[in-house]
Amino acid sequence: MLPPRPLDKFVLPRCESCGKFHFYPKPMCPHCQGTKLAWAEASGKGEVYSFSTVHRAPTPEFKADVPYVVAIVKTAEGPHLLSRIVDVAPEAVRIGMRVKVRPGSGLPVFVSAD
Amino acid sequence: MMQAYLSGVGESPLGSVPSMNALELQRAAALAALDDAGLTLKDVDGLLTTPIRVAQWAMPVGMVAQGLGIRPGYLATLDVAGASGTAMVHHAAMAVATGQAETVLCVAGQNQLSNVSRDATVAQLANVGWASPEYEAPYGPLIPTLYALVAQRHMHEYGTTAEQMAEVAVAIRGHASLNPNAYKKEPISVADVVGSRMITSPLHLLDCAIVTDGAAAFVVTKAKKNRSVKILGQGYGFTHAYIGEHDHIATTGAVQSGRDAFKMAGVTPADIDVAELYDCFTITVIAELEDLGFCKKGEGGAFVEGGRIRLGGELPVTTHGGLLSAVHPGLAGGMFHVVEAVRQLRGEAGARQVPDCELALAHGNGGIIGIHCTLILGRG
Repeated sequence: MLPPRPLDKFVLPRCESCGKFHFYPKPMCPHCQGTKLAWAEASGKGEVYSFSTVHRAPTPEFKADVPYVVAIVKTAEGPHLLSRIVDVAPEAVRIGMRVKVRPGSGLPVFVSAD
Repeated sequence: MMQAYLSGVGESPLGSVPSMNALELQRAAALAALDDAGLTLKDVDGLLTTPIRVAQWAMPVGMVAQGLGIRPGYLATLDVAGASGTAMVHHAAMAVATGQAETVLCVAGQNQLSNVSRDATVAQLANVGWASPEYEAPYGPLIPTLYALVAQRHMHEYGTTAEQMAEVAVAIRGHASLNPNAYKKEPISVADVVGSRMITSPLHLLDCAIVTDGAAAFVVTKAKKNRSVKILGQGYGFTHAYIGEHDHIATTGAVQSGRDAFKMAGVTPADIDVAELYDCFTITVIAELEDLGFCKKGEGGAFVEGGRIRLGGELPVTTHGGLLSAVHPGLAGGMFHVVEAVRQLRGEAGARQVPDCELALAHGNGGIIGIHCTLILGRG
């Protein structure tokens, strides 16, 4: 079983048998069914695959953030992941926009790479 | 596909029904469906239901059997999310075909609206696990946000417009206006939809399903009755658990479920007289029309234009008013599409009747476009 995701750098699960990344964590590698899996550092680069600007918070804890951009990021390594695009006006976000992980620790979020 | 018939359908009061709890709603729907089939609770030897969210039922089918005072020899709780409604027909038919039961009652529903406030329902749904609790929910998506991602990508790949999505809501509201049991009956325009509050771009309030109380039921029997409807084909399709795990989010599992259902029934999309499509959001219907083969991939937006999916059009869609306007009490939501398909095939749909309706398709979509079940039904 994979240990909890480290949050001090941007990581994705990688299969030690075939070397490919995947996401989300699974009990076996979706490419080769290998079970020797580990968190491995990824480039943190990618592009916006799709996005939505949220105007109504699902729960009170998100109210202060509205409006905010939830996006699916296609990472340079291949796997998609849900995240947020931050430090950019919501109306400037586009599908295909190049993004990179915002430096620092914590839940990974993305900023414009241009 | 197999020797089993849909012989009775029924609904509880729908909409805002604060005087009834989940079991009372289900009882009302069950008795209506049995009465419709000319049967009573004494005849029931099989029972299927779905989980509910408003109460902590550790064993849903046991709770329903106990509530109805029956001891069926075949019983199960079925959960393929929003595809449960159509899948129940298939599971009941299998029980009949294998001799496990002769009369299977399928019933589900709950007081999703009256049990708690709409805000509480939105918060509850956000944390029920449709979004990965660890990898998605911390970013604050609504359930509609996860579908908005699909809509945004569909618009990007195929040029689908907000107005085309709005037409889905307008057409289905028009159908609801002809259904006395529908919750939202006041007609709306495309301008109303695109002018309604933006919830999670590109989805406006009126692109999203409503939240209501309600229960539905149907009876699947071994014996063919006067008003029985034939079960001609079914198929399932699965692509992913979480939306972030699906590499092509503008395409759904309906490709597989539709292909298998049409093959089993030996008919094509052009043969279908009415399509009761799962309509949790407007984009869902556009993607289903494409993926089921009613039009080419990417042409769903253009397909819905010009009144084509309205009553009187080439392919009337979701003629009871659907999840967008008639009723959406949770997992039971897709059962109403089956109930409506049966009514259309029997010629009992009143002001919203599709003339000469001989073949109907009912489709359920579950999760975030991840799991699908298509059903093709024919006049008895």
